[in-house]
Amino acid sequence: MSNALQSVIKAIDELDFDNINNVVQICLDEGISPLSIIQDGICKGLDIVGEKFNTGEYFLADLVMAGEIVNEVMPNLKARMNSSDAVQKGKVVMATVKGDIHEIGKNIVCMLLDANGFEVIDLGIDVPAERIVNTVKEKKASFIGLSCLLSTMVGSIGEVVESLKREGLREKVRVFIGGACTSEQLKDEMGADVYSATAVDAVRTMEKMCGAMT
Amino acid sequence: MNPTERIIRTLEGKPVDRVPTFCAGLEDRTFNEVLGEPWLKTKTIFANPLIKSLLNNWGPKITKTFVQPQITAGMEKRIEAAAALGFDATWALYDETFVLIDSRTMARFTGALFELIDDGFGNMTYMYKAPGIKTREAFNAWPYWPDPDAVAHRAYKFFKKTLAKYGDRVCFCGQASAYGIQESLLWTIGFEKVPLWIRKEKDLVERFITMAEELCLKTSMAMLDAGVKIILQSDDFAFKTGPMMNPKMIESLFGPSYRRIIKSVHDRGGKYILHSCGDNTVLFDMFIDWGVDGLHAYENTSTVDIFKCKERHGDRVTIIGGVGIDYLLTERSRDQEIVDQVKLLIEKLATGGRFILGPIHGMSNMPADKLRVMIDACKKYGVYRTN
Repeated sequence: MSNALQSVIKAIDELDFDNINNVVQICLDEGISPLSIIQDGICKGLDIVGEKFNTGEYFLADLVMAGEIVNEVMPNLKARMNSSDAVQKGKVVMATVKGDIHEIGKNIVCMLLDANGFEVIDLGIDVPAERIVNTVKEKKASFIGLSCLLSTMVGSIGEVVESLKREGLREKVRVFIGGACTSEQLKDEMGADVYSATAVDAVRTMEKMCGAMT
Repeated sequence: MNPTERIIRTLEGKPVDRVPTFCAGLEDRTFNEVLGEPWLKTKTIFANPLIKSLLNNWGPKITKTFVQPQITAGMEKRIEAAAALGFDATWALYDETFVLIDSRTMARFTGALFELIDDGFGNMTYMYKAPGIKTREAFNAWPYWPDPDAVAHRAYKFFKKTLAKYGDRVCFCGQASAYGIQESLLWTIGFEKVPLWIRKEKDLVERFITMAEELCLKTSMAMLDAGVKIILQSDDFAFKTGPMMNPKMIESLFGPSYRRIIKSVHDRGGKYILHSCGDNTVLFDMFIDWGVDGLHAYENTSTVDIFKCKERHGDRVTIIGGVGIDYLLTERSRDQEIVDQVKLLIEKLATGGRFILGPIHGMSNMPADKLRVMIDACKKYGVYRTN
């Protein structure tokens, strides 16, 4: 691997916001393709950050910072990519469930999914089940990510699952849940597929499932 | 032993007659069940086209005159209902932090936006919506920064009055219009932008912390002057699986402020409880080092292990909370499940003292009957076993 790509990985690993544009530009000047910078530099840097988060060396704010660093350079890299370069790992419909307007956790998951090569359709907050399922149908998404903080609104998760069943989509889509009031027990109670305690867990599980699907 | 003596002795690690109970704030549905339903619910008021138009056009101007008295009355009802339910202590909140922007939006005076929503029981409540300040210019132009002296003065009057009415029946753990320094910062500029602001706009972050500390300090002193014995500060430093920020960063940014505030409270003979949601396992030692007397939440849906916490720091600080609001204190649970959990918590946590039982949080769908089951079980089985 070139020194320039190593520098991209290092900048993300060390959360070096001030240096990221510089090291990405060096990669581009050396003729490294934007796709390679993303796959071999940015994604690998994010893997290290994710690992450090899992082992307790990094914290949520560090994860957010890594996302900000990636956001800083992605528009430039995406603009330089050919349409044939745009390889997406999978499509994910993300939403905070109906009745709940908390979105910080959802936004962090969206940011990490996007940085890791997923196509994210973020429907925002307080989203009715019908709209989520219609979007899945229209975009042919493989995953739904539902965020829920309020214990008063957990029923909204079950509504999405029921709505998927009614539309004959249940077997085609994996439903992820996360947020303060969610748990393995709630996942089973509501008929969802995966409970993720952290944003990193959610992204990694989706990546594994993508691998299994392809 | 009266409730205040019971709570203070427990915070000091001294023997008491039984495990005390703590109320983590009651929302409208619950206190209406205890005190009686109002003849007109707030949802109906907010749905009125005339009121809506008034709020949309004159919101900020009429907040103080028309809205704040309603909020203050609600704060008093929370205390009254907690006393009526038989709690030993309650989170006694005086909140004048809001400015009504329109019929759907409120701004907290420290720069965060909240949405007014229906709680599902005919009452209006609010939820955090978005940061109110996104740029340096917006920070400097924010029109609602509080006057800490004026806020403290009104807090003094509120607590003087409510303590006279309910102080002999329930111990006040007071908080007055000053939310946690860290969580206020997160709400004001948005969690996603905080790491960037700490690097790029450090002077503004420091100005904010200084202002928030002054507010906490002055309102705490006002409450103590009014006769409140325990200050309770909410500041959610953690989320489900761990701290929001690196503990070293938390210490360097917020530690000095909290140390000064807690020392001032102790210097005046008060006690200090910190409420922090989420899994604070790696932060607890730091909080104890800051000087807190009690720690509240130990949120059961997070990865914190309250029983291990008892082993690690149960002899140095009082553990408060333990009863989940995700299931146990909802209509979905059976009474016996609540009793079983209370017995388990008492068995594992009450040995050696320093345990106060209560919900880990307030919640808008909490039935009063479930709280009664919890309190009765605690009074029945909560014999304090001392080492």
